[in-house]
Amino acid sequence: MSGATFFWMGRSIPFQEGESIASALDAAGMVSFGPGVPPSQMRFFCGIGACQCCLVRVDGATREACLTAAAAGLEVEPAGGAHG
Amino acid sequence: MADPDVLIVGAGPAGLAAAVELAASGVSVELAEQRGTIGGAIYRQPISAATPVPQAAAAKARWRSLSAAFDESGVRVRHATVFLGIEADGQVLLDDRRSGGVVCLRPKVVILATGAVETVHPRPGWHLAGVTTAGGLQVMMKERGRAPEGRVILAGNGPLLIAVAAQMARLGNPPVAVVEAGDPFRRPAAGLGLLAFPGLLREAAGYVLDVKRHRVPWLRGTRLAAIEPQGEGFAVTLEDARGTRRMEVDRVALHDGIRPNDFGLPQVGGRGEGPLVLHAGDCREALGAPAAGADGHRAAREAIRHLGADRTANSREGRDIARYRKAQALLARLFAPLPEALPFENLPDETLLCRCEGRTVGDLRALCEMPDRLTGREVKHNGRFAMGACQGRFCAANTAVLMARMRPEAPAPTPVDLTGRRWPARPVSIGALMQAAPENTDQDKEMTDEVHK
Repeated sequence: MSGATFFWMGRSIPFQEGESIASALDAAGMVSFGPGVPPSQMRFFCGIGACQCCLVRVDGATREACLTAAAAGLEVEPAGGAHG
Repeated sequence: MADPDVLIVGAGPAGLAAAVELAASGVSVELAEQRGTIGGAIYRQPISAATPVPQAAAAKARWRSLSAAFDESGVRVRHATVFLGIEADGQVLLDDRRSGGVVCLRPKVVILATGAVETVHPRPGWHLAGVTTAGGLQVMMKERGRAPEGRVILAGNGPLLIAVAAQMARLGNPPVAVVEAGDPFRRPAAGLGLLAFPGLLREAAGYVLDVKRHRVPWLRGTRLAAIEPQGEGFAVTLEDARGTRRMEVDRVALHDGIRPNDFGLPQVGGRGEGPLVLHAGDCREALGAPAAGADGHRAAREAIRHLGADRTANSREGRDIARYRKAQALLARLFAPLPEALPFENLPDETLLCRCEGRTVGDLRALCEMPDRLTGREVKHNGRFAMGACQGRFCAANTAVLMARMRPEAPAPTPVDLTGRRWPARPVSIGALMQAAPENTDQDKEMTDEVHK
């Protein structure tokens, strides 16, 4: 364990060096990544950046959680239904 | 730095093989890769703290030799960089996620090696959080070196399901069941054909034995017909020739095959001032990793010929690819869904079809029942199918199939009729586009010269 964390809606999420944001959120028990276009929610699905289901805001920029490496101190938030 | 002669998009087996071949021929080449690591989905590397997922020996050997050759090639990789498209004036647009701006390059050849996407057929509840693709579950497992927790059910069609089940079992959490629409044991002719591919047979037998050893039920000739939320998890409905039953699970992973990830990509060929465009690997024809490697070499040689640097003619790749094509055709026959487990049957109108835009089977039916026959394009524009953020990657083919079933007398639409072909191939922020800048133009130099005068 590296001891490093990023923030998901203000909550500290631990991650390992090189781990994607999606993997760290999943390991922390986050199945939903926030509201999507009804009736869906944002969440991990394809793992290769194709489905756009895991979009989150990373320090303000909309990114696929499955492609983006976690880094200490990042502020990660739900993308919001409009996908930014 | 000058623009490379060849830009490759995607650092999976096809892209890496092409890069190695081009660098060996002395061609200047760069690679753009959306992730921070190379290998693609098939060779997704474990994070440093993780144990690698157990793999077949042949696959491990292929990765070792490819990654060593690539390291030696010294080819530059632009990580966290997504291909957007080629402008009318021939500029190649890349979204550099690290700088937050769009980069413009002018290579002479672009080799697109964006791999495959999984097919997932619509079923009630497939859109719920906690339902993933089997490939998605597998890449996360490869990344982390740990099996997903809880009661996992794998369902759909094709050999990947049994491979993922075996890997989960080896990592200590076998799935509660593998639900398979086909039944390889009832396709003896295709099974015999596979004897011509001993490597493939050995790999498949290893997976099946592992799954048997861990007593994972392999429910063949069965379909997962519906998923409903139940407590923290799901209740799934399974159907086979004998009837219907329900199971409680924590996670569902679906997979109904793979297809080229060629959505929104410019077509093969050269246009005007633009670069020659080539497709390589699964995004040209989804035949799997070994074929993708061979196809990367083929594309590299085509690029070299175009640049006038050709020395050798070699048709070995062509023969290899034909062989892989034959193997995949046999696998498709072996795993052909049984009549009682066919997809698209009895879909309730409220089944979500296009998840990005929240459109259902019933919405499509209403459009198809209109007196004017809508084309695929009009179904997109009027119904918002294939219009959302995934750009049709997960709904265009399903929508096209359902349109053909809903109005059998009309010409059957293709997925491209719905999606069209235009950049950006992936969503990009307006802010990043506003910052689009050529990296290496003469104007830059002139401006610098001005400053120095």
